[in-house]
Amino acid sequence: MEGLVKFSFYCFTAATLALTGSAICYILFSLGRIRVRRTALAMPGGPTMSATVTEFGESPAGFGRFATMLLWFTVFFAGISVLTRCIAAGRGPYSNMYEFSLGFVFAITLIYALFERWYGIRQLGAIVVPVALGMAAYVWSLPSDLREVDSLIPALQNQPLMTAHVSSAIFAYATFAVSFAGAVLFLINENRRVAWLPSPEMLDDIAFRAVTIGFPLLAMVLVLGSIWAYRAWGTYWSWDPKETSALFTWLIYAVYLHTRTLRGWRGRRSAIILLFGFGAVIFTYYGNYFFGGLHAYGGV
Amino acid sequence: MSEMTEAAIPKLAPQRRAPLEIGVDRVWRFFCSVRAAVWEVALLTVLVLIGTLRGSEVPQWIADLVPPLQGFVDRWYRWDVFHSLPFAFILGLLAVAIMICTLNRAPAMWISIAEPTIATTSGFLNSAELQLRSTEPANREEVVNDLRAALEASHYRVLTAERNGDTHVYADRYRYGKLGTFPFHLALILVLVGGIVGSRYGFREKSFIVAEGASQDVGHNTGLSVQLVDFQDTYTELGQAHEYRSDLVISRDGNVVKRGSITVNHPISYRSTVIYQSSFGPAMQLRVTDAAGAPVYEGSVPLGVDLFAKGNSDAPAGKLDLLSQNTTLFVIGPDSDPANAPELDKLNLQSGQMYLEIHDLQNPGSEGRALTLEQGVPATVNGLTYTFLRESEWSGMQISHNPGIPIFWAAALMLIGGLAVVFYFPHRRIRGIVTGGEQATALVAPMARRDWSARRTFEQFAERMNERFPGEWTLTAREDGLQFDGYAADTAT
Repeated sequence: MEGLVKFSFYCFTAATLALTGSAICYILFSLGRIRVRRTALAMPGGPTMSATVTEFGESPAGFGRFATMLLWFTVFFAGISVLTRCIAAGRGPYSNMYEFSLGFVFAITLIYALFERWYGIRQLGAIVVPVALGMAAYVWSLPSDLREVDSLIPALQNQPLMTAHVSSAIFAYATFAVSFAGAVLFLINENRRVAWLPSPEMLDDIAFRAVTIGFPLLAMVLVLGSIWAYRAWGTYWSWDPKETSALFTWLIYAVYLHTRTLRGWRGRRSAIILLFGFGAVIFTYYGNYFFGGLHAYGGV
Repeated sequence: MSEMTEAAIPKLAPQRRAPLEIGVDRVWRFFCSVRAAVWEVALLTVLVLIGTLRGSEVPQWIADLVPPLQGFVDRWYRWDVFHSLPFAFILGLLAVAIMICTLNRAPAMWISIAEPTIATTSGFLNSAELQLRSTEPANREEVVNDLRAALEASHYRVLTAERNGDTHVYADRYRYGKLGTFPFHLALILVLVGGIVGSRYGFREKSFIVAEGASQDVGHNTGLSVQLVDFQDTYTELGQAHEYRSDLVISRDGNVVKRGSITVNHPISYRSTVIYQSSFGPAMQLRVTDAAGAPVYEGSVPLGVDLFAKGNSDAPAGKLDLLSQNTTLFVIGPDSDPANAPELDKLNLQSGQMYLEIHDLQNPGSEGRALTLEQGVPATVNGLTYTFLRESEWSGMQISHNPGIPIFWAAALMLIGGLAVVFYFPHRRIRGIVTGGEQATALVAPMARRDWSARRTFEQFAERMNERFPGEWTLTAREDGLQFDGYAADTAT
């Protein structure tokens, strides 16, 4: 089993390397190309004048293709890392922040890769993939003893519910990362200033579609958490900070969904709500560091 | 119409509405307003954030950064947001808004599903961002039939109506999908109802302590009692807790009705009463006899439930009242973590020892007699003989009876199901007009203003039309409409 744990970690290392390359390529691809040309202008009187012309345009498509290829490498290696960790632990790898974050890196890259295929655009990767890279960096910052597989404490010994509850959370947060990226690019390209970025309508739709996946998933997190809490603690809702923090996040996205039907709110204002929403996701994710209560064992 | 003169039009007297009617109308409009609902949810969100942060160190960090805010932060920590009046008020407001909004929307929504308006205008079609035109004039009936066949093949319901010699076409799919909003919103109310039913008609004992060998009544008119036959705690090689198990016998009115074991995550239930493993701790088995040797007490004294030795929270303590002897006993066990602050362990008890303080029941604060008991060695004080028989354990359980649970589960199903239906079966609508007789042409457009996915669905339908009738239909996008450049220019493979 120790060999599998090490193999899982090596796969995560490979995933991190691929993710780093992918993030760089996505950023270069999305920034576009700046071309400065010197031109000579012939004046009517005879003399010539030289001038520099700056042109902005799309980056070479090769950057985008390479970024996507590296992204799929990341998905593959992160997936193998999670799978081998599952086999080694004999359970879903969700007992501490190391395992949870490993799953998050996998989920966020997988979800984004699928969105990229569905919508056929790569520029979103310039936001989502660096977020995944930040998560990978966080995994590297964790104490190395968390990489060892520990048996579950009694409170966590409900494998079906733990796997379903935490997996839903990971995939919900991953889709919210995509909606965050859609919102950021929407705000950048709201007035179609950047020709090589996707249209604001498409970005708005991507952000919305991501929320339509993440919002029910987060509802599932709350429901499954309630079912588990009822089995373990005798009450389905305890007003525990982690519970209410997830509820807080869910409510922000509920506000977002309602504002989309309001005149004057759809577009810019809705996109800003999505930024707050992802802030709430991060707040909830790292809440174990500063929350007390019943979820305190989930921390590092 | 031109013959109608001004005199022919009866002048309507301005109707005065009663203030009550105006008031009711305004209240109704307020509760139906999505804008008001957004602000209500936003306010609820802020309250949830305040309550969440209250359970964290964040307010204290703020106070540490800005010391003058310490008083404000103290008040923040004291305010139980989730059981406060403003929180209940907002929840109530939202529940009322959901109910009124549901009543308000349901009839119109049903009409839009069952009897949608079929006729459209050429203005709508000409201003649509995407338009599908037939380019090969043909018999009107033939064009309508082609369009109908293609739409039905894409799982659209197709309705047609004749207007001024033209055929108006209305097609939609997933029309029932938008009804999903009702179970979703009603589920939110049911969650509240479930909570109210549970707290009003159920009970929850958070700290139900039973020592090994002892029995305890559940109360709450259940007639139940729980006996702890055995308690076992097992640990991993690294000393981490692995499992806590209580073997129980449940009796009702003195008759055994159920036997079983509970661990964390695996409760036991008898009818609607559920017993959960929660905590555990040490206990001492004590025997007390009087001067004649008659038994006064023999049983367990749980230690460390909520009592610890004065000045040393690592030394668990317990209390036992001997009512017949007008005596109160305070018992202290050995320090559970001798390495932690050893200077606080004044009693320095070893395994197999118990510290006993004997007080007058009426005046437990008075100075009593103290002695250290050795396991199995009787000691006599004031005519009573105390024997520390052995160490044992107590099990902390939670017992609950919650009649609101079925309501909560139903709400959870409605919530997730409603969301899934609304999001994954979006109502798609297409309108069109077929004009002309033998040389008829059609103009069709989606109802998809600012809806990229709906337009994409329409594009896919247009592609299928072109496959079905090659060269006979053309899709055009208006210049000032949606740009598909991002999608078309860079297709990932």
